[in-house]
Amino acid sequence: MNSKLKSFYENKYKLLLVIPFLLLVLALLQIGIQTAVTGDFVNKGITLKGGSTITIEDGSIDIIELEQFLDGKFPGADIGIRTISAAGRITGIAIDSDAQETKEIDNLINVIEGKLDLKKSEYSIEVMGSSLGNSFFKQTLIALLIAFLLMGIVVLIYFRTIIPSLAVILAAFSDIVVTLAIFNLTGMKLSTAGIAAFLMLIGYSVDTDILLSSRLLKRKEGSVMERVYGAMKTGLTMSTTTLVAILVALIFVQSEIVKQIMLILFIGLLVDLVMTWIQNVGILRLYLERKRK
Amino acid sequence: MNTRLKNIFTNWRIITLLVFILFALIAIQPQIFGNDGVTIKSISQNSSAALAGIQNPSAQLTPLAKEKIISINGEDILTTGDYYSIVSEIGTNRTVRIETNKEFYTLQTKDSGELGIKISEAPTSNLRKGLDLEGGTRVLLKPEEQVSAENLEITIANLKERLNVYGLSDVVVRSASDLAGDDFILIEMAGVTEDEVKELLSKQGKFEANIGNDTVFFGGKKDITYVCRSADCSGIDPQRGCSPFDGGYSCSFFFSITLSPEAAERQASLTNDLTVTSENGNSYLSEDLTLMLDDTEVDSLRIGAELKGRATTNIQISGSGSGPTQADAVTNTLKEMKRLQTIIITGSLPVKLEIVKMDTISPSLGKEFLNNMVLVGALAILSVVVVVFIRYRKIKIVLPMVITLVSEMVLILGFASLVGWNLDLAAIAGIIIVAGTGVDHLIVITDETMSGEMITDWKKRIKNAMFIVFGAYLTTCAGMLPLWFAGAGLLKGFAFTTIVGISFGVLIARPAYAAIIEQLLKE
Repeated sequence: MNSKLKSFYENKYKLLLVIPFLLLVLALLQIGIQTAVTGDFVNKGITLKGGSTITIEDGSIDIIELEQFLDGKFPGADIGIRTISAAGRITGIAIDSDAQETKEIDNLINVIEGKLDLKKSEYSIEVMGSSLGNSFFKQTLIALLIAFLLMGIVVLIYFRTIIPSLAVILAAFSDIVVTLAIFNLTGMKLSTAGIAAFLMLIGYSVDTDILLSSRLLKRKEGSVMERVYGAMKTGLTMSTTTLVAILVALIFVQSEIVKQIMLILFIGLLVDLVMTWIQNVGILRLYLERKRK
Repeated sequence: MNTRLKNIFTNWRIITLLVFILFALIAIQPQIFGNDGVTIKSISQNSSAALAGIQNPSAQLTPLAKEKIISINGEDILTTGDYYSIVSEIGTNRTVRIETNKEFYTLQTKDSGELGIKISEAPTSNLRKGLDLEGGTRVLLKPEEQVSAENLEITIANLKERLNVYGLSDVVVRSASDLAGDDFILIEMAGVTEDEVKELLSKQGKFEANIGNDTVFFGGKKDITYVCRSADCSGIDPQRGCSPFDGGYSCSFFFSITLSPEAAERQASLTNDLTVTSENGNSYLSEDLTLMLDDTEVDSLRIGAELKGRATTNIQISGSGSGPTQADAVTNTLKEMKRLQTIIITGSLPVKLEIVKMDTISPSLGKEFLNNMVLVGALAILSVVVVVFIRYRKIKIVLPMVITLVSEMVLILGFASLVGWNLDLAAIAGIIIVAGTGVDHLIVITDETMSGEMITDWKKRIKNAMFIVFGAYLTTCAGMLPLWFAGAGLLKGFAFTTIVGISFGVLIARPAYAAIIEQLLKE
């Protein structure tokens, strides 16, 4: 079985290339449909699209209990509670949520009123806009495009060949796009920290791809496949350590925000395995074969 | 073995790493045995504390350098709880003796019974925690009149810039509205707010320089292309200096600005119509240049006769400040200057704002967050150790790896303390990626040096390894640079931390690791 798999991997690499490209097309399709249906390419959480703050002037509320209660009542919602204090004493609480529509806010406030036995005069509500401004996503997108361009130039200077440079960029790009589509399918809401996680994928993706390109293009010892396996041994150790560390973090971390970062990295690293060891290996082997002719 | 140890500790790569770690630890100054007392965060103007001579701490001070209250009226202050319980019992018009780690102060409480001191728990290191981690101040501002959505957007961008120019970077500014549909602006900023920030937010900042009834130029980028903020062309005015005034002292400040050509032309045509008068042997023009901020006069300047009809682009702006002692007067004057510079750079807000509410708000990540992160970090490192040990089965490899990873963290945190940047979620994300790529690169180095049986030359092996590490490093940096310049706060912080962190890793820590395992594994 193992040798069968190995011979399939070695001989049918052109056929295998279908997998990463199919994934990429499906991911672009998912993001397209998501945009068409909801108007946004990703589910945005409170930090990205804004929400509302309910301020209650009562310092005696147990916020941990209330937060757990609200999380139970509104499982999909983004709710955070902070305390307000003056002169060292807690004087009230602020409940931040992603509820922006009057109906959503009414729902939330009814539940809170029932739980805490509040009167209308004891709280105030403010609806907040996004903290990032309208141009944020446009700016990020432009920055990402320039980032990919610069990365391409650096790899080009480093290896002095065009196809392998494009392959590194394509792998990083595919990794981000496919991970975004899978993230969308989980139904989670993206926070600003989640955006950072997607950008972190660039770093991880680049690491394995540069390793592969260096071993395949710059070394002379052994056959091409021997060098691929050598790189894979190192690369899989790298990915395994990171995946195990991320799993541990996913289990023990309390903060929802960090959990989201870890989840995105976890998906991204799995996708990166496909992009590096099938997509990038395939493209590089095709390139080396052409060169030999 | 002894010669190996000797070789390790005389290797210049390892010595470099050790020196940098030492500097990092000096910068962080971790207080391993805890830190009792409470730190003074700010002093209200004209409060009992200010009159007794307690200085308002400058924002540039490192957390541990800020003044710490040790006892009040002979009673030890160990926690913020101690402080508040003692202070709440002090009555009106009493004498209070406060001992800090620097001096003894004798305060006289006023009718309100308040001291005017804002405090926080004493820090345990020089690391500054950001809004997400430590909480801060939340300010709700209300426009005094109805504004269009577009003007609200401009106001928010302007306020953000104003706070950034003033030196506060960890700030969230966003629009808000209540259910009645009234517009608000919600600001959250790290740390406890000082009075001057309050003024910065509530001032519309309409700055005008007038000759007679005509305006020569306004604040903002259209008329003023450059505002000098360095010591050679701003500061206490050496010609006017400080002088006793009204029971205290008063000082003058100056700074130079550069006008746009259009504003300079306007000045030329306005001064052309003025007559020249003579005073104490000097020639001046008949009208003064009056500087107005929100319709109040800041200063009035004589215009030298030689400027008549000339389109000069270099102008000196001046103003004054005062305080009970000369030192206080200088501090207040420089603060006044900084505020005016900020307003002149960022220009006027489209609408006047009033502060509706100002609260201290707890961190969104909660108090337990950092402890939990440290625990998770330790467990993550442990799991990496297990995987690496299963793969290599050599303690000689695993131990140096862990030491290198921990050193990289220390280097990043040391740098963060040194430049005084706020640790926030973006920085934590950056640290995670640095640790992650750190493990990656150490594995590359290990594999390249161990599997190179065909290559007997160690130099060649390490060169091969560093080729891959450097390729990945340069590519990642190329990816992060545009994000650093993209402007949006979170991405900036993330890209900056990542670049700084992997630079320390690739240039200092990871070469040292290569040197260590070379020594340990060499036959």
